[in-house]
Amino acid sequence: MISLLTNEQKKRYEEFKEFIKAYVEPYAAKWDYNQEMPDDFLSLLGSRGYLGSNIPVEFGGKGWDFVTFGLLNEAVGRGISSLTDLLTIQAMVSSSLLKWGSSEQKGKWLKPLAKGEIIGAFSLTEPNVGSAIQSLETKINKRGDKYILNGRKKWTSYGQKAGLFLVFGKDEDKSVACLLSKDTPGLQISPIKNMMGFRAAHMAQLKFNDIEIPESDIVGKPGFALSHVASIGLHYGRISTSCSALGLLRACFEESVIYSSQRKIGSKFVGDEGMIRTLIARMGTDLHAGSLLCYSACKAEDEHTPDVYEKVQMAKYFTSKAVVKAASDAVQIQGANGCHESSNVARYYRDSKIMEIIEGTTQIHERMLGKTFVEKAARLIKEKK
Amino acid sequence: MSVETTQTTKETIRNFILDSINISGLNDDDNLFESGIVNSLFAVQLMTFLEKTFNIEVTMDDLSMENFESVNATSLFVERKQNHQQ
Repeated sequence: MISLLTNEQKKRYEEFKEFIKAYVEPYAAKWDYNQEMPDDFLSLLGSRGYLGSNIPVEFGGKGWDFVTFGLLNEAVGRGISSLTDLLTIQAMVSSSLLKWGSSEQKGKWLKPLAKGEIIGAFSLTEPNVGSAIQSLETKINKRGDKYILNGRKKWTSYGQKAGLFLVFGKDEDKSVACLLSKDTPGLQISPIKNMMGFRAAHMAQLKFNDIEIPESDIVGKPGFALSHVASIGLHYGRISTSCSALGLLRACFEESVIYSSQRKIGSKFVGDEGMIRTLIARMGTDLHAGSLLCYSACKAEDEHTPDVYEKVQMAKYFTSKAVVKAASDAVQIQGANGCHESSNVARYYRDSKIMEIIEGTTQIHERMLGKTFVEKAARLIKEKK
Repeated sequence: MSVETTQTTKETIRNFILDSINISGLNDDDNLFESGIVNSLFAVQLMTFLEKTFNIEVTMDDLSMENFESVNATSLFVERKQNHQQ
């Protein structure tokens, strides 16, 4: 995949990897254990422009292409998945605003998002509603010239740290999306602790109690919040997650080959065992295949081709499944050493499973991609007749 | 916009729709969304196709089902956007 990159992209990828090696890898285990990402590190991340890499320069972002955005997510994913979750939600909120926000909304929020001065949280999932987003129970009802927000959200990444929430709900049969500042009266934020993976992602649940939303804070138009606003947000979330899973897959691979070449069983190295080589062969091949799928998806985004949605779904589907297997095998290779909290691969194992759940589960992707492929086949058959 | 250009625009849009969803035929006034033959993924795919093919940008002001409900409606929308951008 590296051979497909431009010199500029290669240079930035090296910069990202050096940053992660110096500022993330030494502290990742501690952050995961404490279930917290330090504020001073988040400020550093913001000051380097990494939270606004996809936002155009005119709005204070870096304006990098999506291949570079993918490389950033991959590099961060090598360090700690809880941090890529931040890149994911920041991109989901900023991309939704870029596409569907009013001039006023873009002017007010994009610059602080790009600079990392505020974190944007994507508030879609609810206690009773996960994949079936058409069944949202949160209400955003129109009352005169305002909207009234009531309901609950759960599993909101960085909900404890966010300054801005993009909230999805319904007004009768119409889906509605609105912006909500964290200091709004009627908003209650409660931390969710002790997640299996992504432990430092500041997960929260939210409660909205009769919150007045001015019409100027509605994003897009009522009736299009799920079909267009959420779809775009989830799309960028999938680009980020697929590359983040790829970075975690690289972490599993690198830890496994290093361990296998150093750890001895009797007089032989672990890596001399054919069975271990089988696990590593699969991991390395998945890493290469995943990197090509991610590159293809990011390139399609840069070229703005209509098949980008399908390519991004394939990348997310493949890398999230592959990393679960790779993390399991990485623990297997290290045996008891890999089962202790102090081991990196133990964290990779816990984080990997989350990749299969966020931004559309594996099963949702199978349903979407299966439909796409079957319909394509049906058209080909028709054409041949 | 000439009649010829309008026909080309319609044909381009119709071909994309027929390439994207598994239906046997499509009249220019058939309502895509009411018929339930397309989903929200198709809605954003169509939007991306229109932006790329016709060099237009779909914004929040364009979010109206009337703009995308049929081949005819979408074609008229594209031509309005192109005229507006000229």
